[in-house]
Amino acid sequence: MTLLAIESATDVVGVALIRDDSGEAERTHVGGRMHAELLAPFIEEVCVVSGCALGDIDAIAVDVGPGLFTGLRVGVATAKALAQALGLGVLGVSSLDVLAAAAHRHSGVDGARRVVSVVDARRGEVFAAAYLFDRDREAAGPIDPASVRDDRLEPIVPQVLVDWLLGMVDETGPVVVVGDGAVRYRPLLSVHPSIELDLAGELSSPPPLALARLAVERLGRGGFALPPEALLPDYRRQADARINWEERAPRVTAPGAPGAPDHRRA
Amino acid sequence: MFLSVSSSPTSVPPTDRAVHRVLGIETSCDETAASVVDGGSTIVSSVVSSQIDLHARYGGVVPELAGRAHLELLTPVLDDALKRAGTTASGAGIDAVAVTYGPGLIGSLLVGVAEAKALSLAWGVPLVGVNHLEAHLFASLLEQPDLGWPLVVLLVSGGHTLLIEVTEPGRYRLLGRTIDDAAGEAFDKVARFLGLGYPGGPAIDEVAEEGDPQAFPFPRSLPGDRYDFSFSGLKTSVVNMVRKRPDASTADVAASFRQAVVEVLVTRARKAAAEVGATALCLAGGVAANSLLRRRVEEVCEADGIGAFLPSRSLCTDNAAMVAAAGWWRLQHGGASPLTLGADPNLGLVAAG
Ligand SMILES: [Zn+2]
Repeated sequence: MTLLAIESATDVVGVALIRDDSGEAERTHVGGRMHAELLAPFIEEVCVVSGCALGDIDAIAVDVGPGLFTGLRVGVATAKALAQALGLGVLGVSSLDVLAAAAHRHSGVDGARRVVSVVDARRGEVFAAAYLFDRDREAAGPIDPASVRDDRLEPIVPQVLVDWLLGMVDETGPVVVVGDGAVRYRPLLSVHPSIELDLAGELSSPPPLALARLAVERLGRGGFALPPEALLPDYRRQADARINWEERAPRVTAPGAPGAPDHRRA
Repeated sequence: MFLSVSSSPTSVPPTDRAVHRVLGIETSCDETAASVVDGGSTIVSSVVSSQIDLHARYGGVVPELAGRAHLELLTPVLDDALKRAGTTASGAGIDAVAVTYGPGLIGSLLVGVAEAKALSLAWGVPLVGVNHLEAHLFASLLEQPDLGWPLVVLLVSGGHTLLIEVTEPGRYRLLGRTIDDAAGEAFDKVARFLGLGYPGGPAIDEVAEEGDPQAFPFPRSLPGDRYDFSFSGLKTSVVNMVRKRPDASTADVAASFRQAVVEVLVTRARKAAAEVGATALCLAGGVAANSLLRRRVEEVCEADGIGAFLPSRSLCTDNAAMVAAAGWWRLQHGGASPLTLGADPNLGLVAAG
């Protein structure tokens, strides 16, 4: 199977391609909100380095969030259009699941069994989910964080997350915390030795290759891809219904000029 | 000084493959649209899905709702446009993909740009980024390809109020623009204040036909001595007047307001057309559907002995046929855009200066 994975839920934009026979390729870029600019060139590049044409792709996976609204839309729009043009379905994967799978793989067989993924939701909140991994599973292979212990569907403030983590530590011992939400609120979260912040570079945002491996595993276990029209981001927040008349009427101002609307917020 | 629009942020050599059919994609505001245009002038299919109902209860376009809706409408709108053009999602017979990359709402523009880039990759055809304002100018050429030059175009919509001289396709001079609200925005705000619903232009247009346009002498603001516009003072004086006289007939207020907006637009456009020696005055943008504006433009053009060009309503409002037409022209004259194309919410028609 040849699978293309598209990751754009956080400040990291990236693409990974997995081929059964010839390995893996990955391209990522961090910061600067370059999702729209870089995603398509990255897709072209991973195909070139893998020696494969877009027509060789059998499956497309995309991170559907939670995460940055604009980033998610760029990724999901790209996945939808590619799938439509190539006649494929798309597997949507949660950003929190990808982070947990990456963290578990990173920690090895004897690693912690409990992982909490935390994605920065902006506006002083985070998205979070806790995962319980089976210690006996082969850590070298792809790990699907199938047993979600708890998923806070609504964004929460960091203090609620801290209380939640302390409760978890009390109840069952150490917990590993990953994700850009944990990076942002690091000082707040560093309150107990059993709350281990694993924020090594590749675990601050969902890695595209971890998304690709997780998607391959899920498809292998009978997970199904959606037709492109049915795939949508997991926003987890109502749309802000404010009308910004200034955004509606772009004047002839230079980009970045004082007063130029900042549409780039999540 | 004449400056041409740069549609390709980085230059890519013109494509050596003949381009006949262009798929256009438009998602800059609240219309999700796709269209196939042949040879830059023949509309093969044009599908527009409006989000008006979605935004109506807010009295204006809500950017985050628009972005979400574009993503939901993307696949069915493209599917429909391709089917109506006699092809499929495999893109057989499509030679290039054109997309609006600015100006507009960033969260909306990015959806179309991402889609267009994916299709360009999957189909192996050139991508071309199109300026939404330039696309509006090309809407006129779709119906009247033999318009003479120079032209003066009054581009009036919910987002824009521009007076532009077109010396030839691709060569524009900005003569004037609004210094505050766009004309369509003023219609929306006054309609919301009068409780007439959204979008405000058609709502006011309808009620105004029953009212007395001379009932209230609203101010005609003509800022500066060139061709700029200002509508925020007019909106404020409507609000103040109605607060002072709550018994005033809504039809009379709407008619007097519409009269003031149209008089300002027509006065400026007529003066500009005379000064540049335009062969015709052309309307573009959603407000070009306003019935009084259309009547008045026809009258003054006839009086001045120049042509009046009033595109059909479906080409005045946002659509993707105009994007495909502008993209076809850009491909011949500037070449394709790179795959790193981004969206520019503040893109202007004419470079500053
Ligand atoms: Zn428009």
